[in-house]
Amino acid sequence: MIRCENIRKSYPAGHGRRAVLKGVNLTIARGERVALLGRNGAGKSTLIKQIGGVELPDSGRIVRHMSISWPIGFNGGFQGSLTGYDNARFIARIYGHSYVDMRDFVEDFTELGGALRMPVKTYSSGMRARLAFALSLAIEFDCYLIDEVILVGDQNFQRKCHHELFEKRSDRAMIIASHDMHTIRDVCNRAVLIHDGHGITFDEVGEAVERYEAL
Amino acid sequence: MASLAKGWDIQKRVIKALMIRELTTRFGRENIGFLWIMVEPLLFAGLIALLWRVTKGPFEFGVDIVAFVISGYIPMVLFRSTINRAVSAFTANGSLMYHRQVKVLDLIIVRFIIEFIGHMMAYFFICSTLLALGLFPSPHDLGFVILGWLYFSLFTFSIAVIVAPLSEMSEVIEKIIPVTNYMMIPLSGAFFLVGSLSPALANAALYSPPVHAMEMMRLGIFGPGISPQFEFFYPLAFALPCIALGLMLCRRVRRTLVIE
Repeated sequence: MIRCENIRKSYPAGHGRRAVLKGVNLTIARGERVALLGRNGAGKSTLIKQIGGVELPDSGRIVRHMSISWPIGFNGGFQGSLTGYDNARFIARIYGHSYVDMRDFVEDFTELGGALRMPVKTYSSGMRARLAFALSLAIEFDCYLIDEVILVGDQNFQRKCHHELFEKRSDRAMIIASHDMHTIRDVCNRAVLIHDGHGITFDEVGEAVERYEAL
Repeated sequence: MASLAKGWDIQKRVIKALMIRELTTRFGRENIGFLWIMVEPLLFAGLIALLWRVTKGPFEFGVDIVAFVISGYIPMVLFRSTINRAVSAFTANGSLMYHRQVKVLDLIIVRFIIEFIGHMMAYFFICSTLLALGLFPSPHDLGFVILGWLYFSLFTFSIAVIVAPLSEMSEVIEKIIPVTNYMMIPLSGAFFLVGSLSPALANAALYSPPVHAMEMMRLGIFGPGISPQFEFFYPLAFALPCIALGLMLCRRVRRTLVIE
């Protein structure tokens, strides 16, 4: 279980500060797939970063009773000047995972071939998404944090993601920030709409989507 | 106890992974690779020693001038590089904060260890080469050389732990810190022996912790003839509170760190 209690987060803006999250509460149980909805800049990524421990909230508490992935997105989690293989090696090392297994999985999942020997900064966003997913799926987590990245890439990659994430790991919890209502309706069983710094929880995804579309 | 052992295990894993990552990003795998870390201090110290030897003759303060310059210069360069690497170390490595087991302190520790190893290797290499060529006095007491090195390094680390978070808190500090490195030229004791100063100056010099470390090192190399002056615990009494303060600042800065 993950429980966010009254999360507040603000960022410096000019001479003052801009509050992005103004007291968000959220509980995620094992196996739950929660959609994060909200307009651009509403604070979806901010909330995901707080849950993943990338940034720390100004106030409030996050209780983590399961292992949580780092936020999977286009950047973060890897080093641009290192190659795909070096990044895999690094992740394997800090998570105490076997590099050989990691390498095999990454090669197989990303299908990037020789590009894995190139620095990540030369990758397109689709290639980055492939690598980001491969690295985090190679380490098994109870809860995956997915920030927008899910719907990039070609058909083949989307199919693979779907299979690895929603079929093979259907018992895992997920927090998915996305603007793609089709996928959200398809895979999520709860939704949180972030608006004006507050989170409104919906047990019915359809209802949340309607509210979001009416914003 | 089990969780303590597990924590230690993770700590070792993280430090090792970060070291390898830092070495590959900084030096790459081409040509001599990570051996580059000792080339810079080696060249620096070698050139400065040569310069002094040519302009000032074979002796300074009654000891071999080359040994004197090298024994002072390499620790000073260690300090300078460590501090420069500590400035903005957190924002430069923001993407590492995606992994919760990596703490900001680890970033400072890793950068410090790399500089420490590089400069120690350079020191060892240059001293043993010169010793083999008969251009360096054979050390009077190796224990004091090592103790002096460790004290100097501990001092360096204690300042780096403070500088790294401060440089994130204010841009003014970030810009000023590299300049203050020049203050270390007199404060490090690299270019004088306390015994050769006037009593008033000697008194003032001994307020600076690295001077004690430098004196220990020089006692180890040249022997008691240079009338070294130091206290055993002064550098420690300075460094430990500094590290405590640095840890507090790190914790504070981590809360406000904005990561892309």
